[in-house]
Amino acid sequence: SYVAAMASLSEEVLLVVKKVRQKKQDGTLYLMAERIAWGPEGKDRFTVSHSYSDIRCQKISPDGKAKVQLQLVLHTGESTTFHFANESTSRKDWEAAKELLQQLLPKFKKKANKELEEKNKMLQEDPVLFQLYKDLVVSQVISAEEFWANRLGGINNGESAACENKQEVGISGAFLADIRPQTDGCNGLRYNLTADIIESIFRTYPAVKQKYKENVPHNLTEKEFWTRFFQSHYFHRDRISTGTQDIFSECARQDEKGLKSLVTQGVKNPMVDLLSLEDKTLDEGYGISSALPSTSHASRTVKESSNFAIIKRFNHHSAMVLAAAKQKEQMNSFINIFKLITVYLLRDVPADQASETSSTDGNSRDSDFFQPPLKKVKLQEAIEYEDLQQENRPKTVALNLKKSDRYAHGPVPLQSQQYTTSQDIINSVNYIKHEMSNYKPNLTQVLSSAAASSAIAALSPGGVLMQQVAQQAINQMVPTEIQAELKHLYVAAGELLRHFWTCFPVNTAFLEEKVTKMKSNLERFQITKLRPFQEKIQRQYLSTNLTGHLECMLQAAYSKFHIWQTRRMMRKT
Amino acid sequence: MASEGEISLLVVVVDVNPIWWGQHAQSEPEFTLSKCLDAVMVMGNAHMAMTRTNQLAVIAAHCQDSHFLYPSKRLKGNDDTSSSRDGKYELLSVTNNLIAEEIRDIMSKTELTGNSTDTLLAGSLAKALCCILLKTVVFLLAQEIKSRILVIKAADDCALQYMNFMNVIFAAQKQNILIDACVLDSDSGLLQQACDITGGLYLKIPQKVALAQYLLWVFLPDSEQRSLLVLPPPAHVDYRAACFCHRTLIEIGYVCSVCLSIFCNFSPICTTCETAFKIQLPQMVKPKKKKPKLPA
Repeated sequence: SYVAAMASLSEEVLLVVKKVRQKKQDGTLYLMAERIAWGPEGKDRFTVSHSYSDIRCQKISPDGKAKVQLQLVLHTGESTTFHFANESTSRKDWEAAKELLQQLLPKFKKKANKELEEKNKMLQEDPVLFQLYKDLVVSQVISAEEFWANRLGGINNGESAACENKQEVGISGAFLADIRPQTDGCNGLRYNLTADIIESIFRTYPAVKQKYKENVPHNLTEKEFWTRFFQSHYFHRDRISTGTQDIFSECARQDEKGLKSLVTQGVKNPMVDLLSLEDKTLDEGYGISSALPSTSHASRTVKESSNFAIIKRFNHHSAMVLAAAKQKEQMNSFINIFKLITVYLLRDVPADQASETSSTDGNSRDSDFFQPPLKKVKLQEAIEYEDLQQENRPKTVALNLKKSDRYAHGPVPLQSQQYTTSQDIINSVNYIKHEMSNYKPNLTQVLSSAAASSAIAALSPGGVLMQQVAQQAINQMVPTEIQAELKHLYVAAGELLRHFWTCFPVNTAFLEEKVTKMKSNLERFQITKLRPFQEKIQRQYLSTNLTGHLECMLQAAYSKFHIWQTRRMMRKT
Repeated sequence: MASEGEISLLVVVVDVNPIWWGQHAQSEPEFTLSKCLDAVMVMGNAHMAMTRTNQLAVIAAHCQDSHFLYPSKRLKGNDDTSSSRDGKYELLSVTNNLIAEEIRDIMSKTELTGNSTDTLLAGSLAKALCCILLKTVVFLLAQEIKSRILVIKAADDCALQYMNFMNVIFAAQKQNILIDACVLDSDSGLLQQACDITGGLYLKIPQKVALAQYLLWVFLPDSEQRSLLVLPPPAHVDYRAACFCHRTLIEIGYVCSVCLSIFCNFSPICTTCETAFKIQLPQMVKPKKKKPKLPA
């Protein structure tokens, strides 16, 4: 609600800013636990109040401008602008308000958005559901809450548990490229930094993070820090350290140190031999010239050394990105160590009481309490295939079929209907043998004209064999739009009837109310949707009874309701 | 007419069960095995005459074994009887003569072993599929080949061939081979299923003497041409399963969850796999106590 008495504020007020103008009116801005509100000067109520979950984002005026403004953009698209008009403290107030909002908004954002997003996604993915939604909710046969009642299942209850197990999003390799400087118009560049990018920079370059901690906000403001960062040669592509008093020149040295230590650490996998890789180019002489290529630093050309520098930076960058992801893995390995300790302590406890992490499978990580040398592990991995090993499956009972020939018998009676004596058989065989011994094809006497014409008569439309052809398939007689509409009607009616029938048996007052409402919904559906459809097909002269079954179902529901109602009346009297 | 370059192969499987034919020949002398074979020949000739590239194969399904009537091993080195006097297309006369020779040969070698009186239809169908496969491979490089099988059935279904039969049907379906059925005597559930699954035509003909007419009218056109003609509608197929205890066809029954055998009645132990079952009885609903009416 937009109007709330200030005295009845039950929410905690986090920040109050005086002399904030909104729509050319002086007033005071209040930031509370769950919403932001503004009231005009001297008045007792708020004219503007937005809860944080409604706010999509905040926009701030650029630094150079005289007017210090803050704009709130809502999900609905509306926006509200606040002008901080206090001459002396406007900047400070504005900063404080901005900071607070920055902290609060993300908390509330996730909750509201999620539900809406989920609903939208469901409607987009399932066209049948979308059509149902249009048929029932848009035309106001049932309300939106009833529609979503059984469908969202889990959004509001316990879905947050699933979020905790989500995978961590890693750092995009291109995060620096995303900054995308824009020209200012007067020989300057604008860099747009978001919190995400800042975090990525800190995670990838811990040296920069350290510098930030040391210098901001005592020596430099945040803006100054970043400006210097982008200006420094550290950030610059070629990074030729000229030894300036750049605070970042130390970072470059630190990076070199870090890279060197990574190289000395080497790769743990004994199967991989990085040192055997070498850039072998055929130098002058196609490799047969006697002079060996010089690898000394001094003889490199300028281009070569800048290439060298870039490759070094790439490698360092990739290593840092990977290392950032590894931190989580290290946490997991700490957890594993704790698990192992508990296993060791519980070793005297009988197996069924021990924790589930003690497994008998020799391949699981948990049982590697005594870590074999890495090389052995790697070799083992290379020569063993999981699916070729003996399986430790739980014991199963073998299938024991006593009469398996039953499966081979078809859907034919066991005994043949005709009973022939062996004498019959002998007679028949002799007869046929005799007949066929003199067989000569007589193809001119195959068919008499009488037989042929009666056969043709049987095969012509209307004949003995063609009875069913007269009945045309119903789907060939009804146009496709009518069929589609009928399908929609069935889906909608099915949904309503499902709501109706799940109310029985009617045990609670809620169900009583619901069943009465559903009955009226069904009637409304019949009037608003079914009748017009019936009239439409009547107008098109379709004689087939397409809606008979639907009417039947609705009638069954009505009569059930009627019976229930009479019983209820009788119980009351 | 098949499109240019397309080869149409027709394999006719004729049920020549001597016991059935011998019995019926005595009761219906106007329609004998000879007449039946004549009708098949007429249809075979018509098929080959329609297009030069059409191919034919004829298999006789006996109760002892199945034989290829055409093409047969006698094909080579037989010139004397091949020239016919009526100026017929030579291929047709050769075919007819070969078929006649083969069938005479087969029937004369019929021996009564007393083991089975049922036609080995599944085996014949399997041979037909092999023949089709062989021809398909031979012609693979040259052209597309479309094949179908026509079964002319006389004797009753044999329950013991059920598994083989179903395997053959599914193999034919995978290979897009139609199975048509022309039934002379009693309806065959297995062939109805075969025709339904593979997309062929099933017809039980009312008059056996007019067999040739039915063959030419209904079974001679191939699947493309059939869509342009008005032919007898497909029959309703009974897909009901038979219970394992009585072999009666049931619509609703009990299925053992361990061995999937079907029963018509509930029994606490499955007789096939000897698993014991407990079934929950519906819970008894206590009748509500009615409040005694208070006198007004």
